[in-house]
Amino acid sequence: MTTETSPTVEAPAPLAPEAPIEPAVDSPRRRFWRRMLRNPLAVFSMLWFLVLLVAWVAPDLIATHDPFKQDVTLQRLFETPSADHWLGTDQFGRDHYSRVIYGAGFAFRSILIAMSIAVGVGVPIGLFSGWKGGRFDRAVMWVNDVLFSLPIVLLAMAVIIVLTPSLTNAMIGVGIAMSTRFVRLTRAVTLAEKEELYVDAARITGISTPRILGRYIVPNLLPSLVIQAAIISGAIILIGATLSFLGIGANLDDPDWGVMLNRSQSIFRQEGVWQIVPAGMALVLTVLSFNLLGDAIRDALGRDASNNALTVTKRVSVAAAQTEHSPDALLSIRDMDVEFPGQAGQISEILNGVSLDLRAGETLGVVGESGSGKSMTMLSALGLTPAPGRMTRGSVRFDGRDVTNLSEAEWAKIRGKEIGVIFQEPIAVLNPAIKVGAQIAEPLRIHMGMSKADARERAAELLAEVRVPDPVRRLDQYPHEFSGGMAQRVGIAMALACEPKLLIADEPSTALDVTVQGQILDLISEVQERRQMGVILITHDLGVIAEAADRVLVMYGGQVVETASAHDVFLHPRHPYSHALLETMPQNHDGGGDLPVIDGMVPSATAWPSGCRFAPRCGFATDACVSAIPPLERVDNDLVRCVRHSEITFGQPVADQPVGGTA
Amino acid sequence: MARYIGFRLLAAIPLLLAIAAITFLISVAMEARGSIAGQVCGEGATPECITAVEAELGLNDSIPVRFTRWLGDIASGDLGSSLLDRNTEVSALIGERIWPTLSIVTFSLLIGVTLGMLMGIVAAIRPGGVADRSISVIAAGVIAAPGFIIGMLLSWGIAVELGWLDPVGYVPFGESFTGWLKSITLPSIALALPTIAIVQRQLRSSMANALQSRYVLAARARGVARTSLIGRHALPNAMVPTVTVIGFRAAAAIGLTTAVEIVFGIRGMGEMLVTSIITRNVTVLQGGMIVVGLTVVFVNLLVDISYGFLNPKVRLGR
Repeated sequence: MTTETSPTVEAPAPLAPEAPIEPAVDSPRRRFWRRMLRNPLAVFSMLWFLVLLVAWVAPDLIATHDPFKQDVTLQRLFETPSADHWLGTDQFGRDHYSRVIYGAGFAFRSILIAMSIAVGVGVPIGLFSGWKGGRFDRAVMWVNDVLFSLPIVLLAMAVIIVLTPSLTNAMIGVGIAMSTRFVRLTRAVTLAEKEELYVDAARITGISTPRILGRYIVPNLLPSLVIQAAIISGAIILIGATLSFLGIGANLDDPDWGVMLNRSQSIFRQEGVWQIVPAGMALVLTVLSFNLLGDAIRDALGRDASNNALTVTKRVSVAAAQTEHSPDALLSIRDMDVEFPGQAGQISEILNGVSLDLRAGETLGVVGESGSGKSMTMLSALGLTPAPGRMTRGSVRFDGRDVTNLSEAEWAKIRGKEIGVIFQEPIAVLNPAIKVGAQIAEPLRIHMGMSKADARERAAELLAEVRVPDPVRRLDQYPHEFSGGMAQRVGIAMALACEPKLLIADEPSTALDVTVQGQILDLISEVQERRQMGVILITHDLGVIAEAADRVLVMYGGQVVETASAHDVFLHPRHPYSHALLETMPQNHDGGGDLPVIDGMVPSATAWPSGCRFAPRCGFATDACVSAIPPLERVDNDLVRCVRHSEITFGQPVADQPVGGTA
Repeated sequence: MARYIGFRLLAAIPLLLAIAAITFLISVAMEARGSIAGQVCGEGATPECITAVEAELGLNDSIPVRFTRWLGDIASGDLGSSLLDRNTEVSALIGERIWPTLSIVTFSLLIGVTLGMLMGIVAAIRPGGVADRSISVIAAGVIAAPGFIIGMLLSWGIAVELGWLDPVGYVPFGESFTGWLKSITLPSIALALPTIAIVQRQLRSSMANALQSRYVLAARARGVARTSLIGRHALPNAMVPTVTVIGFRAAAAIGLTTAVEIVFGIRGMGEMLVTSIITRNVTVLQGGMIVVGLTVVFVNLLVDISYGFLNPKVRLGR
């Protein structure tokens, strides 16, 4: 076996882009405003604030009457809207509309007073406390939490009784109460930022604390602060109005919205509900606008983790596959595309034309770096594409049945029973609130119709089979009492519980030590033989592949780049990427840890390179490689996606490495 | 669990002390701004009256001495007497006023939490669906409306226009159960509507996080049906942050009930506190604060205990 490869594979030209590429032409600021202006609710709230701002700065410009001028002629009291009094009159014949307009000034002044106290007191305390940490921080936070837990109205009352009732004093009280919110927020951000490397670096270089706080921490605090300030402004208006309504805020003749409501509260039952409408509407609209503005800023900054993610995968029409399924396969995937809508409307194509076949009793190893689409392929094949992603093309057949468009209810009958899945991150896949025994028993109860007692007994047996010591006691424990390795065995026990026809194992043995890893793989192959179970083994660990896989599928950049028998891939890979993967395999791989990396990075799914996706990192790339995506070509019994596959031949990369003899 | 509850009970003691200290500071601050004794004696106070009142209230002692004495007094249930009417015990006054307030706050929380959770779950079942979107819009509007405005609208619509219930007034529980229930219904709903919206929003969002989690994905891969995913897998985890929010809302409701009581002409703690502020009757306000503080501590304790039930890590960790 001589190798004809050029040594440049060792160090491919570093053409790979360093950062994920976004089709970025805009600055973050422009993007922020574009998103804000595209959100109708944000535009609504900003328009309302514009009106209020005019009303505050130049009330006499838009008011039609003197807000204090009384007209006690009997017929002018309690009017409903008319041409003269657009919003009617109150019990002193004063013009509601003009009073509402003048009320805007009271509202803004309230916010100014309360907010400057809340921010002025809260932010420095939070910054200092978070930065200092330790006992000081704990003491400050304890006092803060005490104040935080008391009702704001009551704290404000305490301040008002000391300072005597007035709008300013009420707002001082509200400001002090609200400062606890800012202490919490600022401290949380400071604590998180303090751990960042660049802050450490700044500290070591001797930059003074105030400068570090000002230069590194405050800018990172600002977005959360703005969101919080918008929502708290709404709360300030609301509480201010409540205090004025109670008669311990603004002066009882002022055109303050809370006072107007106070004045109408004793008379609206007799004189008609209209009396509460003008001030009530102004108040509700203002608070609503602040809340909407806060939400809109959060969305525009992309800070909302929960909103877009809430969508359960929508059922969209899936374009048909272009190629036929292989008739004898247990699982057959054809031409699968999976897309994710991105933030600015662009679409990331996570998977492109993925096809694979797995026969009963066979083990297929799937390899590739992180981000190559291995796990996504398996999730999408099972109808588990994480929202908001969706499968847009392709066809999946399982056990002779088309499962591409199954409903969630139909899938529930297959998943767990006919198909078992072992996930990565063994602890994260266990529900922290449910006892481990009950979680293992779940598939048994659902699919095998076992009684609670039987399922529990079987769960203990399963735990024993995956070599969990003291299985009966373990059944009554919670996931947080399990180590990563033990949790992984629980995951394996659950996947094998119903003896499925197909097992998809995503990094099943990474968290385990070598001996246990061997035992687990033995256990899987034991069930495999007994049940003619098909196994898909997703792993970074080529040693495991060499030991267990019959065939190998290599993925890169959301595409299949090569399929071949395990023997062929190890002896003479056809794709430069497969070759590069083998090159990075340590001579004496002990089965633990990740694969050493190939130079460069997997490109971002929003910006695949044109042509061959591996070309930027490939030592053999030519102009032909970047002109078009190479097709997946059949060579003997194998498939390879490389325009130069017939020109390049790789030999066994490591001469003294016997195939199948690792691990 | 018993150990955990015991631990939380112990942790409540310093919290109570802190609330007592804050409350005590009110009178210290008031005195710094003007004589409390002068206020008791009224305008044209004689020096004799001032000396007598100062001696009676112990205002001449040092602050630590006064604080310890005051702590001892409130610990034994003595909240002092009203500054305006020296014969009225504050504890007796509160004992009379607390029932309407307690009824409204409790009933409103009951309605708010039940309906809020129900709607949160409904919204999370079909995210982006008709129910979810209509609930979200209504919730956003309701959160922006203070309870007293909702109260006024209810009093006008349900009571005055439709005549289904009385627009004002409170019937004590001891007098008539149905009368009591009727009299607290509208104020409780007024206070409960924002609670419903707040609980709904929080639960919807934490359900969203839970439904996206790896453990729910893994449960789906085991064939767990959607109802069980929501009720058994997502809900207990989503309840942890929701319970926190319910605790905050309970404290806020205790403060906001004042305005609602006034709308419905109910003489509860709200009216008492407002009058005490206007007349600068500091002992009454302090008594009210202590009672509210106790309630807040109790609510916090309930929240902590529910954490223990919801999160095994918390329960077993201590």
